[in-house]
Amino acid sequence: MSNGQPRPAAHDGRIVVSGLTKQYRNVRAVDELSFTVEPGRVTGFLGPNGAGKTTTLRMLLNLVTPTAGTATFGGHRYVDLPDPIRHVGAVLEASSAHKGRSGRNHLRVICAAAGLPKQRADEVLDLVGLTPAATRKFKGYSLGMRQRLGIATAMLGDPQVLVLDEPANGLDPEGIHWLREFLKGLANQGRTVLVSSHLLSEMQLLADDVVIIAAGKLVRQGPVDRVVGQMSQVARVRVTTPDAEQLAQALQAQNAVVEPQGGGVLLISGVDAPTVGRAALTAGVELHELTTERPDLEQVFLQLTAGKADIR
Amino acid sequence: MNLIRSEVLKVRTTNVWWLFGLGAMVMLGLALLFNAINADMLINGGKELDGKVSPEQAELLSAQAELVAAYLYTSGQYFGLLFILLLGIIMVTNEFHHQTATVTFLTTPRRTAVVVAKFATASLFAFLLWAITTAINIPVTMAFLSARGADHLLGDRAVVQAILLNLLAYLLWGILGVGFGVLIRSQIAATVIAVVLYLIGTTAAQVLFLLLSQWLDAEWILELQVIVPSIASQLMITGTELPGSPPQWVGAVVLIAYAVLAGLIGVLTLRRRDIA
Repeated sequence: MSNGQPRPAAHDGRIVVSGLTKQYRNVRAVDELSFTVEPGRVTGFLGPNGAGKTTTLRMLLNLVTPTAGTATFGGHRYVDLPDPIRHVGAVLEASSAHKGRSGRNHLRVICAAAGLPKQRADEVLDLVGLTPAATRKFKGYSLGMRQRLGIATAMLGDPQVLVLDEPANGLDPEGIHWLREFLKGLANQGRTVLVSSHLLSEMQLLADDVVIIAAGKLVRQGPVDRVVGQMSQVARVRVTTPDAEQLAQALQAQNAVVEPQGGGVLLISGVDAPTVGRAALTAGVELHELTTERPDLEQVFLQLTAGKADIR
Repeated sequence: MNLIRSEVLKVRTTNVWWLFGLGAMVMLGLALLFNAINADMLINGGKELDGKVSPEQAELLSAQAELVAAYLYTSGQYFGLLFILLLGIIMVTNEFHHQTATVTFLTTPRRTAVVVAKFATASLFAFLLWAITTAINIPVTMAFLSARGADHLLGDRAVVQAILLNLLAYLLWGILGVGFGVLIRSQIAATVIAVVLYLIGTTAAQVLFLLLSQWLDAEWILELQVIVPSIASQLMITGTELPGSPPQWVGAVVLIAYAVLAGLIGVLTLRRRDIA
């Protein structure tokens, strides 16, 4: 189908979540959550276990009814999209195919329901590299193959928007690499890619934007660089010196917070590396190491969601 | 139409259709044998009386002949209905058992359309099973009856009616199965409960109603048996099962009411349910 052709203009592929709320009997799983997801970018949807990621994605896709709020794709609710799988592809759980049905037949069942030609099943199997297993029954698929079949399912309608819930689960390193390149490629074609994950190092490699939630609420949203950058006040300076005590005193005089690590190592926050260097020079202290430890997405994430990840 | 094609494909791409088909054919064979032995005894009994029957006895005999023919032409129905009921149940519970409900409702978020397609597909398979069993029953019964020197009675109004009502029963039990599957999501629970209700429930209900009517000393309570779906079904097709039985159409009305109720509850429940 059309990869190079322009996408339908009526459908810009922007996901807008507004005031989305899901109240279960005792738990407010999602609490007035609002964020937007832009086309042409990979957006990572992050949160601790139980933060409400899966519930949010299922509300987006009309599988779970929100208590309040809306979610739209290019201005349309999922249920209002004509032939929705031609606009939005979703990968929700790896095990959603009949155990006794072959991968190809699983796809053909969906093609029939969506009015797509059945050859499309073979095309997407090829796209995810499952052609050799096309006629094998689903129960014989490995977890990685199941994830690939899920992605093939999502690609059936050649959608403008892709929503994936933990797609890297069960993939081997090669599979993860493949998935990363695949999703980046889709975003480069101008499609919207929203992908939830708890693999933060993987997200730092993959995502352009992040949406971080905890306890059902939005914690931070924006480009990865900016979200990490905003937290650079938490950047620490690490020094190794034979005169740790002397340097610590000099720095504390400048209101720096110093954590001695033993073995002559100090972790200093509140001041930047040049300040530490100057202080050492002034005090006549010998330095063996001076590095700024920039926080990565994982540290930022842990800091932002600290104390909010409790079991609710 | 797309949705029905998809549902038919779902059934065709798993083992269930040929397993059930095979089961239904084996049971049809056994039922034909059983009905033929029964018929044989009745026909022989009739022959012994030959020549010395009063007009009342003659009438009784002809009614009996019609009944025998109707049973033969609708052979395999007892287990055929059970297979269709189970097919309807499995069509729904598979979606939850294998978590395909997610993909199904992503593809078609209008859930009512999905349930309606399932009703239609269950009816389609019900029609197929009826058509196949009837296509086997007609030549076998005709051959058997003429070999026994009896009239084949195929043009008889009561016999034609029995064959057509047999079709109605197949269709309604398919719909009942889908509705039942929506109500009880667990595949094992739904299947076991349905089989137990169908096979043992009928007898249990008959005993229960008999005891109730004796205890309260009220004949009319026996007629209430018709509210049990399988008894309603039997009444609808044969019209002569219950002592002092209500008219045939009551059985049809009860069964249709169950099917409609199953359909409505099915649609309303599934529309509101969160798929998680």
